[in-house]
Amino acid sequence: MNKFYTTLLAATMSATALGMVFPAVAIAESVLRIDEVAVGELDPAKASDYADSILMFNVYDTLILPQQGGPGQVPHLAKSWSSDGNSYTFELRDDVKFQSGNPMTAEDVVFSLDRMKALGQGLSFLFADVQSAEALGPNTVRFNLAQPYAPFVASLLRLPIVDKQTVMANLGDGEGEMKDWGQVYLSANGAGTGAYMVNAHNPQDETVMVKNGDYFIGVPDVAPHTVRLRYGLEAATVRALIASGEHDISSQWLPPEVLRALADDGAQLLTEAGTGAFYVKMNTTKAPFDDVHCRLAVTNAFDYGAAVKMIAVTDEISQGSPSTGAVPVGMFGANPADQILVRDMEAAKAHLSACAYAPEDINIELSWIAEVPLEERFALLMQANFAELGISSEIRKLPWALFTEQVSTPENTPDISQLFVNAVTGDPDTLLFGQYNSANAGTWQSPEYLKDDEVDRLLAEGRTAPTEAGRQEAYAALNARLMAIAPTIYGFDRQSVFAASNRVKVPALSDPDKAFGLDGMGFSFRLMEMTE
Amino acid sequence: MTSLVRVLLSRLLTSFIVLIGVSMLIFFIARVIPGDPARIALGPNASPEQVLVLREALRLDESIIVQYGYFIADLARGDLGISLYTNRPVTTDIAQFLPATLELVFVAGLMMIFIGLPLGILAARYRGRWIDHTVRLISLLGVSAPSFVWAVILMMTFAFILPVFPIAGRISDSYTIPVASGFLFIDTLLAGNLRAFANAGWHIILPAFALALSGIGQAARLTRANMVETYDKPYIEMARSYGFPEKRIANRYAFRPSLIPSLTIIGLDFAAMLGNAFLVEAVFAWPGLSRYGVAVILRKDLNAIVGTVLIISAAFLIVNIIVDVLIAIINPRIRHSQRPK
Repeated sequence: MNKFYTTLLAATMSATALGMVFPAVAIAESVLRIDEVAVGELDPAKASDYADSILMFNVYDTLILPQQGGPGQVPHLAKSWSSDGNSYTFELRDDVKFQSGNPMTAEDVVFSLDRMKALGQGLSFLFADVQSAEALGPNTVRFNLAQPYAPFVASLLRLPIVDKQTVMANLGDGEGEMKDWGQVYLSANGAGTGAYMVNAHNPQDETVMVKNGDYFIGVPDVAPHTVRLRYGLEAATVRALIASGEHDISSQWLPPEVLRALADDGAQLLTEAGTGAFYVKMNTTKAPFDDVHCRLAVTNAFDYGAAVKMIAVTDEISQGSPSTGAVPVGMFGANPADQILVRDMEAAKAHLSACAYAPEDINIELSWIAEVPLEERFALLMQANFAELGISSEIRKLPWALFTEQVSTPENTPDISQLFVNAVTGDPDTLLFGQYNSANAGTWQSPEYLKDDEVDRLLAEGRTAPTEAGRQEAYAALNARLMAIAPTIYGFDRQSVFAASNRVKVPALSDPDKAFGLDGMGFSFRLMEMTE
Repeated sequence: MTSLVRVLLSRLLTSFIVLIGVSMLIFFIARVIPGDPARIALGPNASPEQVLVLREALRLDESIIVQYGYFIADLARGDLGISLYTNRPVTTDIAQFLPATLELVFVAGLMMIFIGLPLGILAARYRGRWIDHTVRLISLLGVSAPSFVWAVILMMTFAFILPVFPIAGRISDSYTIPVASGFLFIDTLLAGNLRAFANAGWHIILPAFALALSGIGQAARLTRANMVETYDKPYIEMARSYGFPEKRIANRYAFRPSLIPSLTIIGLDFAAMLGNAFLVEAVFAWPGLSRYGVAVILRKDLNAIVGTVLIISAAFLIVNIIVDVLIAIINPRIRHSQRPK
């Protein structure tokens, strides 16, 4: 036995020592390490969530970019554009090359749209009203719409331009001329013009990207040479990695306590705001919330200040800012930032007395999504707030899959549902239309089952108004209407908070004048600066 | 036909029947979990029309019997369908994620054998003394806390506070190893990179140990209990009376008969770790099949659920066959009981 143990001990010591002797060798080029939830979808026609957006905004480019520090868009792959209402014509730059070396032309833009629509996944719903795209010349492309749709230009932020030649050379098995539209190839490879090229991609583990030396507007030397986007790291792991200097930017999904602990350890906190909000939605088809006064009673009883404090990371930074209404501050139609919603128990009692239902007869079902533990805290807050009005409630945890099924019928839809909703293009249309248009009742975004002609009219006006002033007016009126009929408690404007090491500077996530009004765009690696 | 071959054939036949049963069971169970797989896969922003198209593509509107028929026909061609989670063929996902888990579980299994069994032998041999008490305490700690608790404790202690081991991952970022088999230990050797091989070994110690701790505790406790019982047998007394050395009595006469239950438990633990490794994989950012399995269940990714469960079941059955054969080799009574009467 002694010999056995001596051998075992020696083997263990040798293995450990060997590993310790050969740790990672020093890396000469700057490496940025960030994380997001799995999986990373690399196919532009299927990309939809935050991790996918990071990939799209770096591996691919779009015809336009959001204006930094304010609303609107600026040209990017396009030099300029014009519109006659139902069609939009874009003049493209003639000096852009794909990572393959192929020149980017109008044919590639047409192909990208056709592919998006043919596959019908990801964010393709944004282009439902686009009938066709046609190349009018090598550098001119026209989009033909079925009807006027003012947010169309913003939608183009979600149309990554794909290298047609590369995709056609890599078609996989499938039926028809286009076979699989290159799905197998694009799920593992990049085919864009972007500032970063895919070096390796494992959708559950990580995507490694390296700087594209031939990027058409260049990539500064201080930008990271290599980026490792890791997927699905646990909060404890991220905390240990950042504190040990082995990770640079966390995802936004860390609990406030972990973000606070990292900030206490010296990490910087980065923020991204202005594209979404936390909504507490009431089922307007059932008692007591089929009565507007009951809705207004709980809306006034909700403690907005406490909600924001619950998600505070530090005294200065929170995962949300006080709400001013249905439209987050910074978007068309939003109320001024200083007109924040506050709890008003007198108003709440007055509305309750006007409600057709007596408080002692009311028992509300307060649901929260099982995958978002933070929502349980808000459910408890509401339970306490409403109890002060004499309204009793029951808290119910619902897995997302069950929630989406239950909201398909008004009878099964909970009295109260909690949701975080974002504008996928930064335009209020993609935030509000899905939530409040009558035709969308019963989808996950619309458990209110709101049927209001005035809201429908204003939503349509916001889509079709030919000028920005007209859109601003429509969304301001919509905001006022949604406040008056209160289908929702507008909890707070969402703000994403990321913990980051001091090896990296991210102006787009730390300087409001450099911020993009679009989720994920702040992670444009070419705009980051590595300090070590 | 030898007894051993008969044991093997019998186990293979029953395993095949079990696999068919598992495929039916998981196929039907996966489809009764609440939630529309197409809606979940396409995400919250998908339109009803998109959901409808995907449901048709997945044949979800067909009866469940017809769906199973399609599944079996595809399976016969080696096609497990497309994962809605990763948008890739399930076979591609399994091929990419399985080696990481197998490697982790294999090392954890070795730890169970080379740490658990010797600890049990030591405890039995020095029954009632401090070695015995220490081993029993360690075993109790190992079995009483779940693997993920140990994973976090080990990571915080030996990777964060005392930076002896790496915090996460299979290998340091500075190594780029061409993928040949997916097994890093093999691929690094094929690449002729011994530093990378050592680095991979350095990375696997903590997660494998966290995963193995419960099994180590079980193996040690079981081995000790069986050996203690064996030590009271008359033939041990007889060996002692003949003056055989204590070491020979322990290794040859007490340990071998006590090995059978321990081996069975190690076999079961080894196979169970394939499915149970997900929290350890999550803590150590280990890109394995177990973590993938949990992710696809949460997203109701039907094809991937069935594929993953089938693979884990098959591994479970293979390990059990190996254990049965080993036991038959160790214990002639079991081997000979398979002879036709």
